[in-house]
Amino acid sequence: MLPLDDVKVLDFMWALAGPGTTRGLADYGATVVRIESANRIDGARTVGPFHRNKPGHDGSGLFGTYNAGKLGLGLDLSKPQARQVVLDLVRWADVVCESFSPKAMRAWGLDYESLRKVKPDIIMLSSCLMGQTGPLSGFTGFGNMAAAVSGFYNLCGWPDRPPSGPFGAYTDYVAPRFGAVSVLAALEYRRRTGKGQYIDQSQAESALHFLAPTLLDCAVNGRTEQGVGNDDPNCAPHGVYPALGNDSWIAIACPTDESWRRLCALMGKDDLANDSSFKTLAARLQNRRQLDELIAAWTKGLAADAVETLLQKTGIPAAALSDSKHVCEDPQLASRGYLLEVEHPVLGKTVIEGSRFLLSLTPARIPKPAPSIGADSQYVLESILGYDEQRITDLATSGALQ
Amino acid sequence: MIQAQEGHAPQESTSMLSPYRVLDLTTERGLLCGQILGDLGADVIKVEPPGGSPARRLAPFYEDLPDPNRSLYWWAYNRNKRSITLNLETDEGRELLRQLATRSHFLIESFNPGYLRDRQLGYENLSAINPGLIYVSITPFGQQGPKATYADSDLVILAAGGPLLLCGDEDRAPVRVCVPQAYLHASGDAAAGALVANHARARSGIGQHVDVAAQQSVTLATQANNLAYRLGADDARRMAGGARVGSQRVPLVWRAQDGYVTSIFLFGPQLGVFTQRLMNYLHEIGACDAATRDKDWIAYGALLAGGQEPMAEYERVVGLIAGFFASRTKADLFKAALERGLLIAPITTVDEVLASPQLDSRKYWQTLNHPELGRSFRYPGPFARFSESPITYRRRPPLIGEHNREILSRELGLSDEKIADLSRRGVV
Repeated sequence: MLPLDDVKVLDFMWALAGPGTTRGLADYGATVVRIESANRIDGARTVGPFHRNKPGHDGSGLFGTYNAGKLGLGLDLSKPQARQVVLDLVRWADVVCESFSPKAMRAWGLDYESLRKVKPDIIMLSSCLMGQTGPLSGFTGFGNMAAAVSGFYNLCGWPDRPPSGPFGAYTDYVAPRFGAVSVLAALEYRRRTGKGQYIDQSQAESALHFLAPTLLDCAVNGRTEQGVGNDDPNCAPHGVYPALGNDSWIAIACPTDESWRRLCALMGKDDLANDSSFKTLAARLQNRRQLDELIAAWTKGLAADAVETLLQKTGIPAAALSDSKHVCEDPQLASRGYLLEVEHPVLGKTVIEGSRFLLSLTPARIPKPAPSIGADSQYVLESILGYDEQRITDLATSGALQ
Repeated sequence: MIQAQEGHAPQESTSMLSPYRVLDLTTERGLLCGQILGDLGADVIKVEPPGGSPARRLAPFYEDLPDPNRSLYWWAYNRNKRSITLNLETDEGRELLRQLATRSHFLIESFNPGYLRDRQLGYENLSAINPGLIYVSITPFGQQGPKATYADSDLVILAAGGPLLLCGDEDRAPVRVCVPQAYLHASGDAAAGALVANHARARSGIGQHVDVAAQQSVTLATQANNLAYRLGADDARRMAGGARVGSQRVPLVWRAQDGYVTSIFLFGPQLGVFTQRLMNYLHEIGACDAATRDKDWIAYGALLAGGQEPMAEYERVVGLIAGFFASRTKADLFKAALERGLLIAPITTVDEVLASPQLDSRKYWQTLNHPELGRSFRYPGPFARFSESPITYRRRPPLIGEHNREILSRELGLSDEKIADLSRRGVV
């Protein structure tokens, strides 16, 4: 039995922050009907990496991963005939999720108040960059922009350079966790009280929890933290050091005096362990740059994986920096079913990511591949909504199923 | 099967998880998971070793004074929790934990794999006395596998999971966000896993073990780039203020008059529309000519790739845009973005985040009173707004063992003499 096989989700999400939320529900058995129009395709379909490096509406690994396990209903919400289909799906659903800018659902007459009239105990999650209210509610864009506005860019980079910023749409990596948790908590509440509710998720506000210590430092101590490279206030050495090979690196952290002494021994520099410039954490923090040079001089002639193994054998935190090949071949991730092979009707055999957490009693299913636009329209209209052939033909003729 | 039906702490009101009790045994990693459940209304008991959690030793500190009750790292992830100290190295401490576990619905822990099992407190041990228990383990690499016992840190996890190599300037070492992120990603996955298991338990009465690996959790922060090798696609590579994919360079950070902004200058049916709007604007204010404005911004990427448009011309346009951004303030550019639907956002400093009119207008910040310091402090607010059962900040982060007496006497029914004796012998 799949734990969420009694949960029905109507999914208007797009890009990553939204679909990442509902993918997690689909993994554990929720029926997720995803609305998408061929006239307004999900932008994630246009973002790589692409299957065999060929852009195309089905080839995006990003889209493929975060929409696996969902049913695809083609529906053009700008067509009046589409509205009735949506309302019928709302009656069927337990949860409606959307991640448009705040105006969109209202413009279609599909805001929470309207949906509640159709289904009083519906749970609705609206997820957008800045939230449904406030002077910036109309600010639309992508997770890199919400990350910039929330402070992440300025905290990632070198003190002598412009900010580097984290990779990609960073708040899109945070929002799905809080989104899934919110939906599951609201389902639990409804189970006990019979009440549905509306959830307003500002992706920026969710993401600020990932900066809570530095926000408190600013609020409490008046300190405005900026990017400091890889320095850490609680740990030295702490950095990314060059290894043998092109763009090959090793991350090393010595959280204790003992781990520092062990590193000195491995480097064949026992004298350093007794050097007063490095003996205590305070001294090592003071002389960080010198430490970094000493370690880099040692690592640069060695393979990153070899350094990782050597240091880990004595319990020093270290890892080779993984590129895609390294991650795909990592035996540890493989042991957790990180990558799943699925048979896609258009692409053939392709690869998606699996569930990021493992449940001992009710494990995730291997999901069906992400739907092509409208791939499951017939099934949804006929089997879920019980529409007859004539009605489906009429809808198709009206263009609403595009 | 769910045994903890009675005897839990009084709740202020019915909230999403108010019937549930959580034992939070996490070390300095994974503290956010219990806080999420606490924010949702669960009664979260933070179980700390005598002397306090190792997280309390982490900087920054209130007024920069290192003290276990002043760690802002601790404050950030322990509100809405009570604290009890228990020495799990003693038989009596373990027995008290077992008693608490029979009265709890969730247990969250982040010890190295096997640590609790060796102390007869593993999932098998505790599920035998409370089959309804949901036991959540947050570890660096997972419970099993060839690297399960590897030592870790935030940086090491980010390296092993993929995101670190993608961040930073191409002529320097990759660089992380300087606020530790890895266990926050893992905590979010752990909370989601716990609530999926909770949904299953509502029907079956049976709990289970949730196994979260921080390495796998941070893979989400590569935006599926991790799949590139298996898909046969180009890997994304790091680039100062942007990213490189194949031969394509995507600049995302631009200098403004008073700092930096992020903006996306890309093409195609989706993003080209935004670029067209930007070029219309530039033309309107005289920053580019009509011919530049009227380039085919939808097809522009293909034109560049096919050689119909020379790279030098692309670079000239990038120069025009850079010049325009550099002549305006972040606020001016953001205003234009809002008015015209452009993809521009200010790169905001932490103090600017605290002063955000948007967050003010949504009354985001929450104040928690710290009576022990005679002051109130401003905390990041609810991660989402719930119309029926809003998140409330009921408790400031606890002092070490602040609720020992309350929990031992009220929840476990121990006498004052017994508690004093346990305390004397270092069990609590």
